[in-house]
Amino acid sequence: MAACAHCLLPVRQEIAVRGSADEPGLRFCCAGCRNVHALLRREGLDGFYVRRTGWTPGPPDFGAGAIGSNGADPDAFAACVRKSGDAVEADMAISGIRCASCVWLIERYLGKRAGVRSVRVNYATHRATVRWDPAAADAGRIAGWIAELGYTPRPVEPGGTDDALRAEKRDLMVRFGTAAFLSSQVMMVTAGLYAGTFQGIEGPYRTFFNLLAVFLTTPIVFYSGFPFLKGAVAGIRNRTPGMDVLIALGSLSAYLYSVAMAVAGGDVYCDTVAMIVTLILLGRYLEAAARGRATASIAKLIGLAPGRARRLREESGAGGLAADTVPVAALRPGDAIEVVPGSRIPADGRVTAGSSEADQSMLTGESRPILKAPGSAVYAGTLNGSGRLVVAVTGTGRETALARIVQAVEEAQSRKAPIERVADAVVRRFVPSVVAVALLTFAAWIALGHPAATALLASVSVLVVACPCALGLAVPLAVHVGSASARSAGILVKGGDVLEAGATVTSVFLDKTGTLTEGRPRLTDAVGFGVTRTELLRIAASLEASSEHAFAAAVLREAPAGHRAEVADFRATPGMGVEGAIRGTRCLLGREDFLAARGVAIAPGQRAIGGAMSEAGKSVAWLARGNEVVGILASVDTLRPGAVDLVARLKENGYGVMMVTGDGKGVAARIAADAGIGRYRAHAAPADKAAAVRNARKAGARVLFVGDGVNDAPAMTEADVGVAMGRGTDVAIGSAGAVLTADDLLLVPRFLSLSRRTMRVIRQNLWWAFSYNAVAIPLAAAGRITPVVSAALMAASSLIVAGNALRLRERTPGEPGA
Amino acid sequence: MWTIALLVFISIVLAAGAWLLFLWAVKSDQYDDVEGPKHRMMDDD
Repeated sequence: MAACAHCLLPVRQEIAVRGSADEPGLRFCCAGCRNVHALLRREGLDGFYVRRTGWTPGPPDFGAGAIGSNGADPDAFAACVRKSGDAVEADMAISGIRCASCVWLIERYLGKRAGVRSVRVNYATHRATVRWDPAAADAGRIAGWIAELGYTPRPVEPGGTDDALRAEKRDLMVRFGTAAFLSSQVMMVTAGLYAGTFQGIEGPYRTFFNLLAVFLTTPIVFYSGFPFLKGAVAGIRNRTPGMDVLIALGSLSAYLYSVAMAVAGGDVYCDTVAMIVTLILLGRYLEAAARGRATASIAKLIGLAPGRARRLREESGAGGLAADTVPVAALRPGDAIEVVPGSRIPADGRVTAGSSEADQSMLTGESRPILKAPGSAVYAGTLNGSGRLVVAVTGTGRETALARIVQAVEEAQSRKAPIERVADAVVRRFVPSVVAVALLTFAAWIALGHPAATALLASVSVLVVACPCALGLAVPLAVHVGSASARSAGILVKGGDVLEAGATVTSVFLDKTGTLTEGRPRLTDAVGFGVTRTELLRIAASLEASSEHAFAAAVLREAPAGHRAEVADFRATPGMGVEGAIRGTRCLLGREDFLAARGVAIAPGQRAIGGAMSEAGKSVAWLARGNEVVGILASVDTLRPGAVDLVARLKENGYGVMMVTGDGKGVAARIAADAGIGRYRAHAAPADKAAAVRNARKAGARVLFVGDGVNDAPAMTEADVGVAMGRGTDVAIGSAGAVLTADDLLLVPRFLSLSRRTMRVIRQNLWWAFSYNAVAIPLAAAGRITPVVSAALMAASSLIVAGNALRLRERTPGEPGA
Repeated sequence: MWTIALLVFISIVLAAGAWLLFLWAVKSDQYDDVEGPKHRMMDDD
């Protein structure tokens, strides 16, 4: 095993790509890596290979060829370009960045290109800000240069969710920073007052310090605490008093009381107010930061949409056809479009000429390629196989089958009630009782014949003590640490509610194609009739070398490397088989009827062997040399590594496991048996999958659905938690609550155990915060809690819950967790 | 009394200075990428 000189992926010597003439000793995993390596040498940037550290081996991101050699289409990037002085500027999100040296490389390479004024790549967000001279370059060229290095740029449109989250995070940061600076000043002043409480202080000094503390606290309450005040007003107006109401009540009453006492010459509560606002803002900031990071990482997974189509028009005069590249949005029903081999089909339509096979698995979940001939329907977003098709457009944009599924998902999402956060649910019941206790306290003190000032102090103490400072920090901190642990393991969690829902899951539903299985066939049998297995594979590999079918890839992977025979007159019949002449003898590889059509008969004994293989859910191909059948090749979609472990581990932990698939019964039964799953459902259309989830939920189960295709999206939305594979389609990633970025199924139980642990910590913190209240509120009502004691209690309580949340940090990576 | 008032005044001015510095740092995007600079400083040119 050698390692690719560019991307360090291990690569077998025999299939490695050799370096060019001036560096023949180097080996690459693919031509793309070799080109990037040659480019870096030419540019004098090969220092990249020396300086890079922390690079995880992995192929460059060539963006599935979305950007051609002449650069990207500038229109695709037009929305992100803005004027900036005499130059223009654009933000691009770049996928494929693996280490800090990637940042160095992009900045260095782009910086040397003509017309580029400045480049800045943000390593944390993987965003590049490029400034260039519009006369010398355009956005498409810039994107093309980035793509040359093996990264994929994506336009970042201003004002998207990304920007909104960033603005929110920055706003919270300024508010928190301001509160922190002022709090430190307040604490200093308060330290003087504390000293006064214990050893006496002269009246004027005390008044001075009191007024100073109030002065410094005012912006904390009304500027830094503004989000709470706003939230409280909204909460009261909607009659859903939440955490914000408690915070506002506690901080405002303590603040107003302090103002009154500063003037009258009593004890002030300013330090408590400052601490409440500052600590809870910290919690809010951490929450926003975690959310922003997950959103940014997910945005990186979503690729460039197939925005272009090749529209055919009649060549004037000549009677032939010419193709124009047009945006998909410009297509109208009735247009004729050309779909080249290996590309995504841009619109729904009907084939008018050509034949090919289409991989529709992302739509239907069926892994077998579907034959497309004149008259058959094709669907937007599915992948064309090895043939060229001419398609009459029937639906574009929102009228495509793909868009209808996406629409169904959006509807389901809007219908689905947001998961009620545990803390919110508890707080909602808590608020009215706190207010009632405060009022009762006031009434009781008055009834016992105390002056109004004393009664007021006691009821303010109740409100301040009840302020859920520990809660405001503890729940976001637990979620923050929990999602950070998840992220370092390769699980992106979209929000705290996903972790909370994950803790209650009882059943796990798994999609088959692309989730449990690789989604591509692997050769399982090669039986020769009168020829050796090696010889059989050699002929098959020679024939299939020019084919792009998934089965061909399976044969080529399995076939021994080395000499392959020259094939003359190669022809592929989509859906049927391939043929060609090897050393003058005609060879056929394909389905039984393909051979029959060519006049080759299969003996009954041979057919029995093939029949047994078909029965076992395998796809069978026959190989004939001349007029004689020389062998059978069988392939199946195989289980992903880890699938068996996944099912075993889920069962061990008491989860119900079920498989749903769009594939037929034979394949489904075999895969389910191999994976150790007892319950499965075959022939499930996207709506059936969603219905299966809905029925399970009606029966009382809490469902987690793992999938990767558009066809899984409705079920993922319907489930309590949707988990998407990172390699899945954009729609799946968009509708999931959590995304597995590492290609490892065992992250599913990891996610479940982490959810449970996070939830446990949140519960412990809630329990602590409320038992603290249970003790402190009666004391406060009895007038036993002075400002000093309340501040100390609050600080201690916050530290305890924060420390508890930090226990969620993973100590050793790879440990499955309790 | 005046000594204390002066000291308090100085401490508030110093803190305000630090606060302005913080605002400037946030405004000029310095908190947007806290990972990159530590690598960037190793660039020799």
